[in-house]
Amino acid sequence: MEAPMIKITDLEKFYRTEEVETIALNKLSIEVKTGEFVAIMGPSGCGKSTLLNILGMLDDPDEGSYVFNGVEVAHFTERKRADLRKHNIGFVFQSFNLIDELTVFENVELPLIYTGVPSAERVKRVEEVLDKMQIMHRRNHYPQQLSGGQQQRVAIARAVVNKPKLILADEPTGNLDSSNGNDVMELLTDLNEQGTTIIMVTHSEHDARYSHRIIRLLDGQTVVENIMI
Amino acid sequence: MIRNYVKTAFRSLMKNKGFTFINVLGLALGLATCLLIVFYVFDELSYDRYNVKADRIYRLNNDIKFGGLENSYAITPAPAAAALKGDFPEIEQVARLRNRGGNQVKKGTQDIQEDRMVYADNSIFDIFTLPMIAGNPARALVDPHTMVITEDMARKYFGRVNVIGQVLTINDSVQFKVTGVIKNIPKQSHFHFDFYMSMPTIAESKSAAWFSNNFGTYILLKPGADPKVFAAKLNDFMARHAGSQLQAILHMDFKTLEKSGSYFRLSIIPLTKIHLQSNSVDEIEANGSISYVYIFSATAIFILLIACVNFMNLSTARSANRAREVGVRKVLGSPRSALIAQFLTESILVTLVGAIIAVLAAWSMLGLFNQMSGKDLTVTPQILGWLIPALLIIILVVGCLAGSYPALFLSGFQPIKVLKGKLAGGFKGGMLRSILVVVQFTISIILIVSTMVISNQLKYIQSKDLGYNRDHVLVIKNVWALGNAAKTFKQEVRQLAGVQGATLSNALPTDENGNSTTYFKDPVIDQKRSVLTFDWNIDEDFIPTLGIKMAAGRNFSKDMATDSTGIVINEAFAKQLGYANPVNQFLYTPADQMATKTTKYHIIGVVKDFNFKSLRTNVTPLVFVLDQNIGDLSVRINSADIPSLMAKIKDQWKGLSPNRQFSYVFMDDNFDALYRSEERMGAISIAFTSLAIVIACLGLFGLAAYAAEQRIKEIGIRKVLGADISTIVNMLSKDFIKLVLIAIAIAVPFAWWAMHGWLQGFAYKQNIQWWVPATAGVSAILIAFLTISFQAIKAALTNPVTSLRSE
Repeated sequence: MEAPMIKITDLEKFYRTEEVETIALNKLSIEVKTGEFVAIMGPSGCGKSTLLNILGMLDDPDEGSYVFNGVEVAHFTERKRADLRKHNIGFVFQSFNLIDELTVFENVELPLIYTGVPSAERVKRVEEVLDKMQIMHRRNHYPQQLSGGQQQRVAIARAVVNKPKLILADEPTGNLDSSNGNDVMELLTDLNEQGTTIIMVTHSEHDARYSHRIIRLLDGQTVVENIMI
Repeated sequence: MIRNYVKTAFRSLMKNKGFTFINVLGLALGLATCLLIVFYVFDELSYDRYNVKADRIYRLNNDIKFGGLENSYAITPAPAAAALKGDFPEIEQVARLRNRGGNQVKKGTQDIQEDRMVYADNSIFDIFTLPMIAGNPARALVDPHTMVITEDMARKYFGRVNVIGQVLTINDSVQFKVTGVIKNIPKQSHFHFDFYMSMPTIAESKSAAWFSNNFGTYILLKPGADPKVFAAKLNDFMARHAGSQLQAILHMDFKTLEKSGSYFRLSIIPLTKIHLQSNSVDEIEANGSISYVYIFSATAIFILLIACVNFMNLSTARSANRAREVGVRKVLGSPRSALIAQFLTESILVTLVGAIIAVLAAWSMLGLFNQMSGKDLTVTPQILGWLIPALLIIILVVGCLAGSYPALFLSGFQPIKVLKGKLAGGFKGGMLRSILVVVQFTISIILIVSTMVISNQLKYIQSKDLGYNRDHVLVIKNVWALGNAAKTFKQEVRQLAGVQGATLSNALPTDENGNSTTYFKDPVIDQKRSVLTFDWNIDEDFIPTLGIKMAAGRNFSKDMATDSTGIVINEAFAKQLGYANPVNQFLYTPADQMATKTTKYHIIGVVKDFNFKSLRTNVTPLVFVLDQNIGDLSVRINSADIPSLMAKIKDQWKGLSPNRQFSYVFMDDNFDALYRSEERMGAISIAFTSLAIVIACLGLFGLAAYAAEQRIKEIGIRKVLGADISTIVNMLSKDFIKLVLIAIAIAVPFAWWAMHGWLQGFAYKQNIQWWVPATAGVSAILIAFLTISFQAIKAALTNPVTSLRSE
């Protein structure tokens, strides 16, 4: 059998305040194969976002193992994680997180700058992806001048411009109306069909239906795994 | 990458116009002030450096303790120069300057008063760099009655530069042949003579008297000679040459003299230190002061510091708004170093814009600054030569310094935290920011206290009873030049309506004039029973005309023939004599330079002490001797129509001497001139203080704006729950006022200590009153409160619905 892209085993994460210790992830074990589209669901505070952050190497676990493409990354340094992240993972956020001071083009170009792609190549690739997302005509506009749906398209364009193997989406339709939300889900499905692995956190059963598999979390543990296909 | 930084930085700055404006304005003001001060300081430090051999040139000083007085003199005995050159192989050259004051120089039929005249040895051209446009520097001042003049004087008297061989007539009697024309003396020089008359012209130049000091002596050491070693040999030198004269006059040798507590010592001061560090008696011109250079430099650094603190404070306060951007960039793979570089680029960009505005501002304020500081600073290519690289360095350093904290602070954000909005409270916990606000206000309060102390002291000087009346006194200069007609002129002026009194004297309390002489209690002189005193020649009208009061005895009288051997002394003199009743006692003074004979004087009166020197010094012994046809004529006026009276006086002058220039001053103007450096200091420090406060307030204004913005939701909720405007203003102001109070606690003792030190420079001073720091503290609180409350009131008046909806 093909080795999984992501394999986490007995992952634990605690949050401590002065008096209380909260367990966000409690000996969680999950596998995600290359090319899968996985939805993670669960009530508020079940650990969805914590899991996504650890998968995205924005945060590190307290205990347990995280193997990404065959490499144990659980205790990588910040610099190594950042390096692995920028070449392999794209992020899509609920609140888009575009930089207000940069135009659409410049926002999408940013990951390419950080991975050291030469200027001419950058222009080509940004134009290509903007074209694909059908927002080419907005390339010189600033985020505030766009609708929510358009902003999320830009955010997705930015997430995929580096051709990542994995896209992590944190409630990508949470700030959108249903029509724009459906468009975004179609886009993600297309990307998945072209081979990108997608892990999406969502509250919406409707959105979750686009995925192959739903992982339901409660109190930091897997409760159910539904296979959609 | 850099392009991306600049682009983001530029757009971010444009987006926050208010913030950018405050930052750029604050920095520009700070930098502009700094630039002006740097100009000033460099100018002060550059004195006498135009001399190519400046590092090897020294001036001989005479340090004397005798007759109850201790002083350093810038003038030395006539024979010292030649003797030094004969004795010391390490000396390359020596030269003397003998300043005998102004003279009248004839141009056509006009006699023009020239004050910048000096007798000089020809060797000055070997020592000082005085480039000769025409004439032979090797011989120009060798023969008697020859003269070297500056090119300005050549143009003034002859309308052209090459005037070799032309003749100038001095005081309508003596003729000098022009043998050289030199370039004008640079402004940054401790002397600015226009006429250099040959030393052999005056018999005094050949004097062999070692205890008569009239000559400025300059020494050029050979390269490599150690000045310390040389200076150590000067005491032996003095004993070797002046020993026999000391024996003849005081009947003792130098060792015995030193044992008795008195001394005559020679020392040297480097040429380049004269302007800032020498404050001897009989300096050629009033020098600058190194302490003002220090004070101004410190002020410049303070003001720049305040401006930098603003920058850091506003940037970090604003960090919450930038946090999301930092988070996104980090998620997309930006390394921390790239973020640091980005924020530094931003702050360097602001500094650059600030610097450009600062240069323009400094340039346009230069005229005003010159007026205030009494300088004549200009921007020359040489200045630009060091200014531009220096500015670039300043921009980098200030930019990095001001941007470093925000850069390190912001780039250290954890991306997931900021993206989750956990750092929204970026304003709170700003310990460093609080410290910086305290620093700013500490500096501002120190400056306020200092300014108040300076202006109080100036007011005190202006209003202190000096023991004479300087108001409504017109001083007509150089009346002595009328010769025996001087007295006639005085009589004629006295007859005019509106003239209350008139007096001829060779010295005045508002002029640092008058010779020093030693008086002895006995005909056979004994240095232990002596008083070293200033010695003024006056007429019998001097004391009443100037409103000086008698303490004992009587004034000089026209009717007493014996008054020519009478003297009037001041209380300080009397105190030093120690007689219970000094009136009718006799005193003796050497009749010639070698003290072979003494002249006997009879004390006829004692005047109350009056401040005849600057209030920086205590009243010292003074003696009046009766004389006629001397000095300047002081006229006490009680007329309201001064112009017509002046015209009448001038008519009298022209009647007696049609060709001589009529020049006059008012005594109180002259008095003000004595304290001009303090006055300038006062004006400049008021300007600097205001600037510092404006810059500090700009920062506080920005901080208050951000504090209000950060707490806008809290304010909305409080208002919904029923808080009124004053509660909210109070809540927002409280935090800042606390910081200002801490600043007061630090600043007041420090300012007290520093200004107490400054006041020690005055023998007569107004001690610091309790209300000075109190006023400074209260005004700092008021200014801070006004600045903050503007923002606080704005925040408090916002409709809570708008602020609450934004989430």
